[in-house]
Amino acid sequence: MPAPPPDARSLTAEVVSVEPCGEDGVVLTVRPEVELPTVRASRFFMLRRTDRLSPLIPRPFSLYRQRGAELEFLLKVMGRGTRALAESRPGDELRLIGPLGNGWPALEGGGAPWVMLGGGVGSAPFYLGIQQALAGMDGKRPARREELAYLYGAARRGLLYDLERFRALGVPVHTATDDGSEGFKGNVLGLLETLWSANKLPREVRLLACGPHPMLVAVERLARAKKLECWLSLETLMGCGVGICNGCPVATRPEGPMGAWPNAKCCVEGPVFAVGAVTLEQPGEQHGSPRHAPAACVPEAPHEPERGRAGN
Amino acid sequence: MASCDLSLRIGPLELRNPLLSASGTYGHGLEMEFFTAPTELGGWVSKTVTLRPRGGNASPRICETEAGLLNSIGLENRGLEHYLAHTLPVMARADTVVVTNIGGESVEDFVEMARRLDGESATDAFEVNLSCPNVQGGKLPFATSPALAAEVIRAVRAVTHKPLFAKLSPNTAQLGEIARAVEGAGADAITAVNTLLGLALDWRTRRPGLATVQGGYSGPGIKPVALRCAWECARSVAIPVIGCGGIQSASDALEYLVAGCAAVQIGTASFSDPAVPGRIAREMGALLSAAGIARVGDIVGTLHDGRETLQGARSR
Ligand SMILES: Cc1cc2nc3c(=O)[nH]c(=O)nc-3n(C[C@H](O)[C@H](O)[C@H](O)COP(=O)(O)OP(=O)(O)OC[C@H]3O[C@@H](n4cnc5c(N)ncnc54)[C@H](O)[C@@H]3O)c2cc1C
Ligand SMILES: Cc1cc2nc3c(=O)[nH]c(=O)nc-3n(C[C@H](O)[C@H](O)[C@H](O)COP(=O)(O)O)c2cc1C
Ligand code: FES
Repeated sequence: MPAPPPDARSLTAEVVSVEPCGEDGVVLTVRPEVELPTVRASRFFMLRRTDRLSPLIPRPFSLYRQRGAELEFLLKVMGRGTRALAESRPGDELRLIGPLGNGWPALEGGGAPWVMLGGGVGSAPFYLGIQQALAGMDGKRPARREELAYLYGAARRGLLYDLERFRALGVPVHTATDDGSEGFKGNVLGLLETLWSANKLPREVRLLACGPHPMLVAVERLARAKKLECWLSLETLMGCGVGICNGCPVATRPEGPMGAWPNAKCCVEGPVFAVGAVTLEQPGEQHGSPRHAPAACVPEAPHEPERGRAGN
Repeated sequence: MASCDLSLRIGPLELRNPLLSASGTYGHGLEMEFFTAPTELGGWVSKTVTLRPRGGNASPRICETEAGLLNSIGLENRGLEHYLAHTLPVMARADTVVVTNIGGESVEDFVEMARRLDGESATDAFEVNLSCPNVQGGKLPFATSPALAAEVIRAVRAVTHKPLFAKLSPNTAQLGEIARAVEGAGADAITAVNTLLGLALDWRTRRPGLATVQGGYSGPGIKPVALRCAWECARSVAIPVIGCGGIQSASDALEYLVAGCAAVQIGTASFSDPAVPGRIAREMGALLSAAGIARVGDIVGTLHDGRETLQGARSR
């Protein structure tokens, strides 16, 4: 059974600072009880406050930046869990479980450019991604700046978190907003099309994407249609982050490398998946996928998720 | 200060301490090794294994509420063959008591599972999941009928000599009767309890928190309910009761022992922090030692509930 990574630990961490970021976000900086070696981009940690019982379940966050002994997380305030974390103060103690998950593949240079598609707070795992690609990952050839492009989209300017910091990394950064308040008016996929049409990007690219579900569904569809290498960093609900609750299923593609079982566990088998291995498309909105609408429980056919029953 | 002896026996099983993992909350093997190693606990209880693989329910499968967690995992598991080939061999190497939790849709399923597992030396005991809200249309037939619960246990008893824990549901008004029925049918212990049926929804979007709408409620919010259930079982039977529900701390666990449980299981608390079960084990030892208690069994069933005057009530 897939297990959490061997370097993952349950640690306490002290809040160093909580700085507002964008319209509804914060950058939470913490210092874990032990200094961690360099964490691969798009790995994540489970975080919760320890001074209260509720929220009970820690929440997953990608590591945004790592500076010496300090870890930074970019949080968009959504509900109870993120609000509690955003309201913590310097000196507060947090529970920190990680580093968890697999992270981006080695973003080596010399091949097709890596085009990174970030949507809203889905931009968090790209800061380290760009840094680590430029530095070289797993002993592979470092990527040159022009071999990377960051396409950053959000509903409006105020939701493009820490844009200047991304620009300061020195790789091409292109922005898109739904309302046109910053950069291209439209979404990151529209932006990608215009960059292709203007010959600012070669047709053959390798895609990395992290963002809201509808965006990732569209990225998956595009990658499949154009047969592009594509990796998605998924944000499912998570009950534990360490593979013990079965609360984070991602539908596998029956014909793909993980197809022996209908679900992958996002926490221990992801959060980064190759498009050939999983699918985000819901039954009913499928395009050429052999999967059918969920039906009642058919234990002999484990590729059919069950509906309408309670149970552990 | 002498340190308290935490070891105990449940039937023929020797446990190093009274803390077990709760089924479905501690993984399918050694996921927890670096957080709470199986050797820190008295026993490891597997996620429910079913005869055939089950893909589980649609998402969302979990939904946190104010004081607990709703789940509708749907007993996702790769089935008995996979368990025999991949999970048991791994757990056999872990130095702890291995309890295989078995689930089924019919008496025959349970019997077939127990028959197949009986020869496996790696399994020290069975926990018979009579209480999954996920079989037979969510009606919990085995968990709400003393006769059906007894029928399952009797049938399983007939095919194995291994110790049997009957895992009961809080979703019944007949818990005492059911506890007595499974004891009469040959159970060696009772696990009390599984999740409560529950529901969460968002009135603005009109959407339920779980894809299955209703699910199983666990965590701190259920502790008073589960503790009462465990107490009712303990006062109804002479076999050991293993308490389960909402335990977050060593003092929570000790409350269950005082209520009459020989041991406890820790579930949802492991999701808050997978190192919690090990920490509770250490803290329990420290608390009991500080209270001058020599053996953990000395506090079992010591609640002043009027029952302490009954002859033999604490004979186990
Ligand atoms: C591997 C991983 C990495 C992540 N990295 C980051 C990150 O770097 N920064 C960040 O801000 N967030 C990140 N998330 C998402 C973050 O975990 C959720 O936003 C958070 O759990 C919401 O908790 P809450 O209690 O505030 O909201 P809730 O009260 O639980 O939910 C509020 C609303 O948000 C929705 N929601 C809840 N969880 C998610 C989710 N996982 N994805 C999408 N919608 C959700 C709910 O349906 C609801 O509408 C990540 C998630 C995963 C799995
Ligand atoms: C996500 C989840 C999965 C569970 N899976 C099972 C299971 O497969 N079999 C079972 O008997 N109980 C299962 N349970 C119930 C627990 O074992 C336990 O009885 C219950 O959660 C109450 O304890 P707690 O409040 O400490 O979690 C599950 C509970 C949760 C939260
Ligand atoms: S979040 Fe619990 S198994 Fe993945």
